Amino acid sequence: MADKSTKAATAPAKAAVSPGADTAIIRQLTIERFRGIKFLKWNPAPGLNVILGGGDVGKSTILDAIALLLNPSNAAVVSESDYHCRESNPGFTIQAVLSLPASTEISQQQKFSWPWEWNGKEAIAPLISDGEGDDIPTPDVPAYRFQVRGTSEMELVWEIVQPNDDVEVLSAAVRRAIGVVRLGSDDRNDRDLRLVYGSALDRLIADQGFKPRIGKKIAEINLGEELSDDAKKSLQRLDDALREGLLPSGLELGLTSAQGISIGALIGLLASKKLPENSEATVLPLASWGAGTRRMATLQIAAATQTKTRIAVIDEVERGLEPYRVRKLIESLHSESTQTFITTHSAVAINAATDSTLWYLDPKGNIGELSQEKIKRQQERDPETFLARLAVIAEGPTEVGFVSYFLQKAIKGSPRDHGIRVCDGQGTPAVLGLLEAMSNGGLKFAGFVDSTTEDPARWRALKEKMGDLLFQWESGSTEASVIKLVEDGKLTELIKDEEGAYDPERRKTLADRLAIDDKGLDAIVTKAGSNLRAVIIAAAGGNSEGASNEQAKTWKKHGKQWFKSVEGGRELAQKAEALGAWPQIKPALMPFLNAVRAFAGLSVSEDL
Amino acid sequence: MSDKDVAALLDSSEALVVIEAPAGCGKTYQGANYARRAALASSRGRTLILTHTHSACAQFAKETRAVSGKLEIKTIDSLVVQAARVYHKSLGLPPDPSAWAREQGNDGFKQLGTHVASLLEAKPMIAAALADRYPVIIADEHQDSHADQHSIVMALHRAGSRLRVFGDPMQAIYARGQKAVDAARAQWDMLKTSGTFGELTHPHRWRSGSPNLGDWILQARETLKSGGPVDISGALPPGLSVIAADNTAQSRAGYSMSRDHRRPVDNIVNSAQSILVLSSQNDTVNALRAFWNRRLPIWEGHTREPLGKLVTALTQKAGEAPAVAGAAVTFIEEVCKGFSRSSHGDRFLQEIVEGCRKAATGKPALIQELARYILVEPNHAGVARCLKRLEELVENKTSGFTDVCIDYRNEFRDAIKLEHFIAPEDGLGEINRRRTYARPMPPSKSISTIHKAKGLECDNALLIPCDKVHFPGTDAARCKLYVALSRARRSLTLVVSAASPSPLLKIG
Repeated sequence: MADKSTKAATAPAKAAVSPGADTAIIRQLTIERFRGIKFLKWNPAPGLNVILGGGDVGKSTILDAIALLLNPSNAAVVSESDYHCRESNPGFTIQAVLSLPASTEISQQQKFSWPWEWNGKEAIAPLISDGEGDDIPTPDVPAYRFQVRGTSEMELVWEIVQPNDDVEVLSAAVRRAIGVVRLGSDDRNDRDLRLVYGSALDRLIADQGFKPRIGKKIAEINLGEELSDDAKKSLQRLDDALREGLLPSGLELGLTSAQGISIGALIGLLASKKLPENSEATVLPLASWGAGTRRMATLQIAAATQTKTRIAVIDEVERGLEPYRVRKLIESLHSESTQTFITTHSAVAINAATDSTLWYLDPKGNIGELSQEKIKRQQERDPETFLARLAVIAEGPTEVGFVSYFLQKAIKGSPRDHGIRVCDGQGTPAVLGLLEAMSNGGLKFAGFVDSTTEDPARWRALKEKMGDLLFQWESGSTEASVIKLVEDGKLTELIKDEEGAYDPERRKTLADRLAIDDKGLDAIVTKAGSNLRAVIIAAAGGNSEGASNEQAKTWKKHGKQWFKSVEGGRELAQKAEALGAWPQIKPALMPFLNAVRAFAGLSVSEDL
Repeated sequence: MSDKDVAALLDSSEALVVIEAPAGCGKTYQGANYARRAALASSRGRTLILTHTHSACAQFAKETRAVSGKLEIKTIDSLVVQAARVYHKSLGLPPDPSAWAREQGNDGFKQLGTHVASLLEAKPMIAAALADRYPVIIADEHQDSHADQHSIVMALHRAGSRLRVFGDPMQAIYARGQKAVDAARAQWDMLKTSGTFGELTHPHRWRSGSPNLGDWILQARETLKSGGPVDISGALPPGLSVIAADNTAQSRAGYSMSRDHRRPVDNIVNSAQSILVLSSQNDTVNALRAFWNRRLPIWEGHTREPLGKLVTALTQKAGEAPAVAGAAVTFIEEVCKGFSRSSHGDRFLQEIVEGCRKAATGKPALIQELARYILVEPNHAGVARCLKRLEELVENKTSGFTDVCIDYRNEFRDAIKLEHFIAPEDGLGEINRRRTYARPMPPSKSISTIHKAKGLECDNALLIPCDKVHFPGTDAARCKLYVALSRARRSLTLVVSAASPSPLLKIG
């Protein structure tokens, strides 16, 4: 009894979920045999969803699928190419589990739509707990299951699936009430700027009688009066000829409507534009502005309808927009509480989308989340990491330079040409998180890191998943691993700068550590004796062991004078080759380089 | 309370209004008018009228046709079935819960109600979605709601539906046993205190017929409610007559009277243009049909027990000829007179066992022919063909079948229709749908049980017999008597027994 009362006091916070959501949210999307996607099942996040992935993996298909499912009219058509492998026979299905606010009139349809229960992962027939005390209270979140099917006869059927799997017609009215705003990549699509049924403008105006009234007004115009005299005569001659031929006569000009063209389609938004050559502003269709402006305007219209139900799908969010406007757009999408799906190839967009959920779609149709917590830093510092075909996450600047040098040799050209990007992962713990996030997200990536004693289990798991694409030094840092293999007689070569002179700054770091004032090479070599290698490793690594308190700070900075930079890393790689370390590094590094070569379509090679 | 006050109370913004509505006091009129006003006034959602019977649905539908788009009228059981069907997985039931309910026997739908009530209790989101669809709910004849039906209605109310409850504890004739009657009373009293209470007090039903009769019936209701006997010893209002006549038949299956006793009863029945003969028990209704030489048909009502039972058996036992034949015989016995085990049934079943091979002539040959349909096709189609042939034999007055009489003709014909469906369950579903929409009314002169006449009204009624067996001194009998008394607008005749008087009537 006491147990129960404690539970009652703590549980409701989580259990109390308002039955009607405030916004329309797609909880789960399932696509089967639609265009390039054979099967995809995805639980998107409530707010802004950024879908990343290489070319032709189906990012736009996901957006198109959502737009088709929520299409505001039944007028959409499908073609053979909308079916997977162009095979219309089994048909395609796009299904979504949605939370819907009451304002979508979901409960007001001809047939009642009974809610499913959303358990956080799936829509299920509601579970009744048996009342036992230790049951986790079920959250009682209602959801609805919509689907659109492309039949083998190339017809589209919109349906709502009831909790007993019965299907009912899903009315266009509900879809229209949800109001998908779609900005496709196939512009000049200015549909939402015109008064087409179900468009953003139509929803904003929301005046049912407007189109008939305009139609009536236009019908009242005496068009014949407006004709030139010559034209009037031509019309008269035709009239006479028809009369003689006993055909209908008494001709006039008037509005005759044709199939497929409505007055609404001819009405769109105009805005005044000041052109440099004119002093007066000209009124022009909003549709004639640039693609970016058109798209921004469309979103503004959608936002102005004041409904929280809409779901927006925006393909290539950066299209037609300068970086500052991309930023602004993403920020405004964040500030909306509505669910939005975007694809992007823009680093600026990724960089700006810090409060969103990033998803990665791989060519097999798997979609995975890039854990926000783990990638946030990388997203801010180097958003391009997520746009590369293959991201090589290197531990720090040294490793970036080091691995870049060898990669360039390994694939005999610039890695960039293959879409390979070497990224700075900023330290071991961050790299570990990032690699894990990318692994879960399904992103193509490689890793190049120091040896570490922390989190051995997590590293092991990663290695298992990544195989040769993860390189980790057997022990210590890159600097230590390389320097310990340099031939004895060539150790001092490490101190040389690009011009071949013994670098004074490096000499200073050694002298500091040897506690001598003379920074000359001879003095250093003499004082260090057989310890020279160890002292160089300590200085290059910024090791502060054995330093006094006031020394420690300076010692830690010593690494900067050596190889702790991208350039330094590159130098270290060159020296590894030049100073005889390569043969011993090769066995460990070659599998990694070959794995990257394989990604670039190159065969396994024995040596560089 | 004036009708106007009641209407104002219904229109008020009160979340819960409870109206006690004696029979014939304009409950349907008030309810339907309120439903119409509510439907027109609301900008979204639909007004839902929940009844207990299909005949009540029919009446509401007639009164509210103008706003049918914004109004839904259904029985609470059909709402229960709808929910149970959609959530059958949650409830651990098969996909067709109404078939399941029929298989459970008499209280199958009640069990279904228990399931759905617990679902709505556990999952407020479902009630919330329903409340969004139905911002206004009118619960009709609420006294007939058992505890789970009551809990379903209250769950919707809690989820936000404005609730208007009409009921009359004096018409609670479905409660079986004193305990159930007490529970129903307690439920009603509880409801009265949790909402705003009003009462309909004007006997509209009798305005065009016998207004005095209407007043007298309202008074009789008060008397029955407070536990007293209704006095019919003194002056009676115009329209009410009492005939003392005793049933002299020995068996329950028969009904007979002395010539002198019979004459005034016959006079009433014969001279009336229309009359509903009411009796309190099924056996007595069947006996009365014979009593008037089968001139008066039996009003079969809207519920179909024999057909439901037949379909359940056919679904479970298809392919097993003996079991299918047994179900067919049971069905025929229930809906026909003169077809018993000894007259036809035993021979029929014997033929199935023997494979219909024995050489036979005359009546046995015909029985063999009937049985062969089932032997060839031991399923609903075979049964339907067998019944079709039986109907021909009966109509042609074929020797051996002259005593057979089809009492429940609709039930019989509907069973024949099963032939055209792939599965008997589909057929029953379709037949039930058609019945719901056709909303049949009783023939102008017919015999009905009080239960099947509940909710109906007529010009003239004859209640026979008013004796101790049919109306003992229980609360349930008080309700049944009140329902019977309150059917007729113009004339009501009570056939009372001097030999075995009912304690509910004071006959002087």
